[in-house]
Amino acid sequence: MPVKWLMHFQPNQGTTLTSQVMAEACAVAESFPGVSRDGRWRSSMTFYRAVPRDQSLPAPSDLPRDLIGISLHDLPNEYLFVMRSQRLILRAHSSVQTVMDKLQSYKGRFFINFEGLQYKWGDFKLRIGKCLYNPNEALRGIVMEVEYLPLSSIDKSQRVMEEFYEIWREAVASKLLAGQFINTEVNFVEYGLGDSYTPQHTAVLYGMCVVQVIASSNKNQ
Amino acid sequence: MEPQQQAGSGDAPPKQVAQAMDRLGRAARLIAEIRLGADRILEALLVSNENPRLSEKAAELTLGEEDAMRRHFLDLRTVGKQLEDSGVLSGALRSRGNSWGLHMPLVCPDGAVVAYAWKRQLAGQAGASAVDRARLALKAFSDQKRRFFPQLEDDQLNRSNNDTIKFPPTKRPRLLHRPTQSPNIDSTEQKPMLADILKSIQTEAPGVTISTYQRLEWSKRAESLASTMNDSSLDQPKEQILSNLSGSFNEVAVIELVASGVFRVLVSLHPAGSTDPDAVAFFSPNEGGSYLHSRGMSVHHVFKHVTEYADKALQYFQSSDPNKALSHLLSWICSHQSLFTKNCSKCSKLLAMDKSLALLLPPVHRPYLLNSKDHDQDFATAYHIGCSSYDV
Repeated sequence: MPVKWLMHFQPNQGTTLTSQVMAEACAVAESFPGVSRDGRWRSSMTFYRAVPRDQSLPAPSDLPRDLIGISLHDLPNEYLFVMRSQRLILRAHSSVQTVMDKLQSYKGRFFINFEGLQYKWGDFKLRIGKCLYNPNEALRGIVMEVEYLPLSSIDKSQRVMEEFYEIWREAVASKLLAGQFINTEVNFVEYGLGDSYTPQHTAVLYGMCVVQVIASSNKNQ
Repeated sequence: MEPQQQAGSGDAPPKQVAQAMDRLGRAARLIAEIRLGADRILEALLVSNENPRLSEKAAELTLGEEDAMRRHFLDLRTVGKQLEDSGVLSGALRSRGNSWGLHMPLVCPDGAVVAYAWKRQLAGQAGASAVDRARLALKAFSDQKRRFFPQLEDDQLNRSNNDTIKFPPTKRPRLLHRPTQSPNIDSTEQKPMLADILKSIQTEAPGVTISTYQRLEWSKRAESLASTMNDSSLDQPKEQILSNLSGSFNEVAVIELVASGVFRVLVSLHPAGSTDPDAVAFFSPNEGGSYLHSRGMSVHHVFKHVTEYADKALQYFQSSDPNKALSHLLSWICSHQSLFTKNCSKCSKLLAMDKSLALLLPPVHRPYLLNSKDHDQDFATAYHIGCSSYDV
C-alpha cells in the first residue's frame, strides 16, 4: 500500500490551538494549483486499560496494562491494536470490538476521533483533520496525513516525502499560520516492521502522533 | 472449355468463383424453404387431426404450401443445373487449372465445400495488397512525424557521424517481408542475440531484475499481480527471481524489468524472439492487472509521463541505431532506478511543481541522445518537464 507520513500541528509558544487553524491549513492545501477536494475522512482511536479479574491480586507483569485500538478510514473492515510497551501490533477484523466489549478484560478509558477533509493532488493524497477528544469534542490537535500513491517502499520514497514536507512547511510559513507542522518520526524496525508500507505502519504512526499531540496540548493549557 | 451459362469462359475466374458461391448460397436457402414448407404441412395435418373444426383451414394451408414447395423445387432444379454445368458438383474442372491457377469450389458427395485452393490464392493476393497498403500507411506516418516532431528530424540530421541514417518506417517493411522466416536467422545482419543483450544489461544494472515471457505467460502474470496487490493481509512478496521462463529465447515477446520499490517496466518485442523492441511502458511496482502491458498506461502521473518520454526514446533508438536499439533502451530504462532520488540537473531539486500540468513531479525526463562512442553511455542526467530544453 502507498507510503504515508503523519504530521501534527505544533502551535507557537504561548498560543492556543483553535478551529481557525484547521480552516487555515485547508486553505494552504487548496492554494496549490491542481489540488481537488476529495471528500471527508474519519478515523478513531480508543485507549484501553486492563481490568484485573481479581482486584486483590497484583496484575500479571507480562500482560500490557494499556492498549490502543485504532480504526482507520481506509480500512473499514479492520481494527488494529498497538501495544506500545511491547512494540506489538495486531490486525483484526472490525468485529473484534464487539468481542472486547463482551470480554471486558480491557475497558475503553478515553476516545479520540480524527475527522476532516481529504484532497487529491496528482500522485499525492492529503488528509487534514481535527483531533477531537471524545465525548466533549474538545479540540486536542490538528493532524495531516500525506500519502504518495506510486510508491510502497519507505526507503525509496524518503526523499520524495522529505521534499514534499519542505514544500508544505514553506507554504504554511508563508501563510503565517501560528505554528508549524511537525513530522512523526518512528523507528519502524523496533516494531518489527519492514520497508514495505502496511496498515501496521499507519497504526504505529497514529499511536506516536497522538502521544505527541496530547503532550503538546497539555503543555499549552 | 466447358460452356458456362452466365459467366462466359471469357470471364475472369474470380467472377466464376463468386457466382458459384452465390448459387450454392441460393441452393442452401431453397433447401431450407422446402424443409420449412414440409414442417408446415405436417403441422397442418396434425392440427386437423386433433381439431376437426379447423380441418378446412388446414386444407387451405396445405394447398398453399404445396404450391410454394413446387416452386422451390423448380428453382432448386435450375440452380442445380447451373452448378453442374459450372463444374462445381462434378469436380470436372478440379484438375484442370485455368490461367490464374484458380479452382472452382468443389462440393463433395457428403456436402462439404472444399475451397482451399482458390481461397489460398485470394489470401495471397490480399497479403500482397496488404504489404502495399502498409507501405503507404508508413509513408503517411513518417510524413506526419516529420511535420509534428521536427525535433526528432533535427536529431537525425545532426548526427553527421552516422552515415546510414535510418528512419523508423524503413524497419517495418523488412519485418513484413519475412513473415515466415524463423526469427533466429539473423546471422547475415550480425545482430547480437537476445540472451547476450540481457546478460550484459544484468551485469550493468544489478539492482534491476530482468525476466522474459511469452505473450500468454505475461498476461497470466499480470493478472496474478493484481490479486497479489489486492490481498493486503500478505506482506509484499519479495520480487520473484525469475530466470528466463521460456525454455528457449525463440518465443520471448515480453521483457519485464523490475527495480525493487521503484518501477516495473515492460518492453515488448516484435516479432517474438527477435531483438527488436516494439513498445515500452513504465508502471509502479504496486500495480497489477490486465492493463499491465507494453502499450498500457500506469494510473500514476509520474509513470505516465515517464512512459510518454520513453516512447520518444524508443523511436530515437530505433532510428539512430536499429541493431542496438534494444541494448540502448534497456540501459536507458535501468538508469531510472534513481527516478525518486536523483535531483534535477538544472534546478537541483527533486520535486517541482509543473505549472501547466498542476502536478508535483520528480525529474521524469532523462535525455536519451547517444554520443559517438556508445560505450560509457550512462544516461546520467535527469530533468523536470519544465526544466528540460526542447531538444533534449
